[in-house]
Amino acid sequence: MSWEKELIDKANEIIEMYPQKRSALGPLLYLAQEKDGYISNDSIVEISNLVGITEVQVKSVASFYSMYKEEQTGKYLLSVCKSISCEINDSRSVIDSVKNFTGLENYETDTEKVFTFEEVECIGACGGAPAVQVNYETVEGLTSEKSVQMCEWLKEERPEIIVADELQEKFGGVKSFDWAIKDNTGTSYSVPGFQNIGTAKEKSQ
Amino acid sequence: MTDQIKINVNGSEISSKPDQLIIEACEDSGIHIPRFCWHKRMDPVGMCRMCLVEIETPRGKALVPSCTTKVSEDLVVDTESDVVKKAQEGVLEFLLINHPLDCPVCDKAGECPLQDQTMAYGPGESRFVEDKRHFEKPIPISEIILLDRERCILCARCTRFSDEISGDPLIEFIQRGNKTQVNTFPDEPFRSYFSGNTVQICPVGALTSSSYRFKARPWDLKKVSSTSNCSSVGDSVELNVSQNKMLRILGEDNEFTNQGWLSDKGRYNFEYLHSEKRIETPLLVKNSNKESTINETMELISNEIFTSDNRNISFIVGHNSTNEEYYALNKFVKNLNKVKNGNSVGSINLYLSDDYLYNGFFNDDYSLGEIKDLDSADTIILWAQDIKDNLPTLYLRIKQAVRNGKKLLIFGHTNTAIKQLSEEYYGENIVTNNFEFNVEISDIPNLSKYIDGKDVLAIVGKSSPLQNVNPIFQLVKHLDENSNLKILNCFSKGNTLGALQNLDIVKGLNEFVTEFDSSKKNIVFTVGSNPVNNSIYSHKVKDTLIDADFVVSLDLFKNETTELSDIILPTTTFGEKEGTFTNLEMRTLMQNKILPTPGSALNEWEYWLILSNKMNLLESYETEEELNSMLCKDYIDNGNTPSFDNLNKPSNLDGILNSKTINIEVENVDSTNLEILFVHRLYGDTSSQINSPSISMLGSERFIEMNSATYFGSYMLNSDVVTLIQGNNSIQVNVNINESLPDNLLVVPINRRGFQNLNPEKKVELEAAKSREQLSVT
Repeated sequence: MSWEKELIDKANEIIEMYPQKRSALGPLLYLAQEKDGYISNDSIVEISNLVGITEVQVKSVASFYSMYKEEQTGKYLLSVCKSISCEINDSRSVIDSVKNFTGLENYETDTEKVFTFEEVECIGACGGAPAVQVNYETVEGLTSEKSVQMCEWLKEERPEIIVADELQEKFGGVKSFDWAIKDNTGTSYSVPGFQNIGTAKEKSQ
Repeated sequence: MTDQIKINVNGSEISSKPDQLIIEACEDSGIHIPRFCWHKRMDPVGMCRMCLVEIETPRGKALVPSCTTKVSEDLVVDTESDVVKKAQEGVLEFLLINHPLDCPVCDKAGECPLQDQTMAYGPGESRFVEDKRHFEKPIPISEIILLDRERCILCARCTRFSDEISGDPLIEFIQRGNKTQVNTFPDEPFRSYFSGNTVQICPVGALTSSSYRFKARPWDLKKVSSTSNCSSVGDSVELNVSQNKMLRILGEDNEFTNQGWLSDKGRYNFEYLHSEKRIETPLLVKNSNKESTINETMELISNEIFTSDNRNISFIVGHNSTNEEYYALNKFVKNLNKVKNGNSVGSINLYLSDDYLYNGFFNDDYSLGEIKDLDSADTIILWAQDIKDNLPTLYLRIKQAVRNGKKLLIFGHTNTAIKQLSEEYYGENIVTNNFEFNVEISDIPNLSKYIDGKDVLAIVGKSSPLQNVNPIFQLVKHLDENSNLKILNCFSKGNTLGALQNLDIVKGLNEFVTEFDSSKKNIVFTVGSNPVNNSIYSHKVKDTLIDADFVVSLDLFKNETTELSDIILPTTTFGEKEGTFTNLEMRTLMQNKILPTPGSALNEWEYWLILSNKMNLLESYETEEELNSMLCKDYIDNGNTPSFDNLNKPSNLDGILNSKTINIEVENVDSTNLEILFVHRLYGDTSSQINSPSISMLGSERFIEMNSATYFGSYMLNSDVVTLIQGNNSIQVNVNINESLPDNLLVVPINRRGFQNLNPEKKVELEAAKSREQLSVT
């Protein structure tokens, strides 16, 4: 058993929200990813037992979607948008400076497991282009300087929990509109913050 | 809705069933549409786009995949327009982008749909100058299947088969886009009873079987249709032979039986035919296995029968003979009976080597069902031995029926593997460990909901060799009173029904050991059977054979039984003889000969003929055909008796249903305290499997099953390898936990060596073994 009882209880709570056990597969994969920073084979075995499908069926889903990571990510997953709106607002310089700062190519993780860098397709923040996500928390209106500052801050402060509003305030520029839900709290590790499955984190201050 | 609708294909009108897919409707009218992913026994996915056709829509002509588009009244379809041709060329060009050009070393070449359709519909020239994508090739995904991911065109036939048809999805698409590949989960190989079917339906050479790899080219193969002995479903097969060696068995689509599918046992259990260990000349065992001749041995045997008075003669018969051979044996026995008056022969008896034999439901009080009734019944009742292990292709039919909404009710503790298919699983609350009812049948929860006034097909047979059969009779009586009942008698082994139809009176091994009178002189013939192995009566049969005066074995290999014989006579088997086979619904099917007879082996019936002649009991037949026309006289004459002539007519390729009177005389056993449930697994230690290298290892694991309450509670174990001890017997086994089993019942495979001497009514001791590694006997 690679999963602690606490995590299994949480998984069972999630499973109960769905009419069929296997429908809970997506959220359970996020639990696995939050545990290890990637979907480990041990977790796949665990999930397949929990939802009653074979391991390879879980693997099939986990390997299909790019937000489920097959290799361990760093503490901060930097997803820089490379789609059209950001591109015409000079996302190239943001990409280059983040790459330059971290020394990483696409989908690479540094040896200290601090950063993982990826270029991604549209993250839905065209109005505030260019945009970046840190652990799926969005910052808009970045410049190459601001993005380097942000990376430096992350590297030095090592915040446990990332909150979009805080990043926006510190490093962001033009914001498209006030899109975030009111009580947006934040995330830890490379898993989006979903209130209903418990991956959203409250920042203690 | 009318029965037929009209559609227009390529300018001519064809009729089609409503709701049919365009590709099916065209196929039925002889118009071939190329395809890779569509298979008529599986749900369409529209994966490969090869079957694109043009149809007329209110918004003009449109290209649609004909495997996902249903016909409608007056639909206009064009399968050969320029647009369609362009589309087909395009699809093929894309499919070939990453497909390696290794046809010269590919097993599929010559019968490859991708190769054939590229010839017929392809662009002719490639414009692709870039590098192809590469994968490591080939990788083994199980002991018997290899996967070459480069060749895969992602049609999803194999993954759909394992999910929809066989229900063990151990292969799936992994990754996405250009990296998409079929694969297994690490350390979880594609161990399915049906994995070989994926090799057969793979439209390219991506999936290959270890037994056929690099053995032959399709154009060098000689082919004949036949019927598999693997189970009494009577799966239709095609035997592929090259240079007098059987190289491959393929499933043939018989609407009434296997619908194209085979179990891996039925598909890969043939290499034994050419084993070096095959007996090819008669052997005098007691004379240090001296090779002999047919003439000499026949002389010896007829002398034994005639020279001394009043000898008892017993025949222990196996399941792999043809109807003609059973019939010839029966005639031989009748002949021997005739000379009884000359005070030369004592009693003569025929025994079938099957622990699951019981009297069954054969008289006119009940109507007998067919396999196809699974698709029309409302409810399927199952009280029998493990269907998945013993009648694997029937399991596929049941799974299909359940998928189509039929309700499956399972009684007892043997069919745990298909519990998840059942609407109601009547396990330990209803049925005791001794297979008796815990409650009144009328009080079984929800039973009346599913049977009252409904069409019910009951698949009934003994669950365990030592089961008292009275509860089955009670259940069937109850079903008969409350529903519209049809019965499928569940005898699982090979041509059992052929034996029952053609032997006048059949008894079981239990009767053999109890009736054996050691005060008399005894002659025992074992005919294609090995009762000293694989039976709960094995140790008693062994004692009896040691005690017998003269034992003759007709067999292919030396085995536990032939060790105790005086004479071994080499015989022929599947593929080496022509004859008929009767399946469990009493459908008679043809078995054809394609291989030469090895050495000086003879067919069983030839031995009976020679012996008859030696004893001046002249017989009027000289060939299988003559035997066949003689045995056909006993069938109900409905103008379609199962003669070779009739069976070879194109209209009868799916077999002929016809029945004969059946007499079985088996004593009911009454065990009151079962501790061990003996089951028969698909793979075991039979001579044929041991001598087929590709699958020999599949039956070697020793394992037992129990639920975790028994495991942790009663035995307080925590090692998954244990030593099983009962009296002087001890055997190291793996333990598999199966929560569907009742408390305090151990499940033990009887067809794997080492378990035969256990007493099922005595408790066994289990001790944790020191080593955790998998144990197997090589």
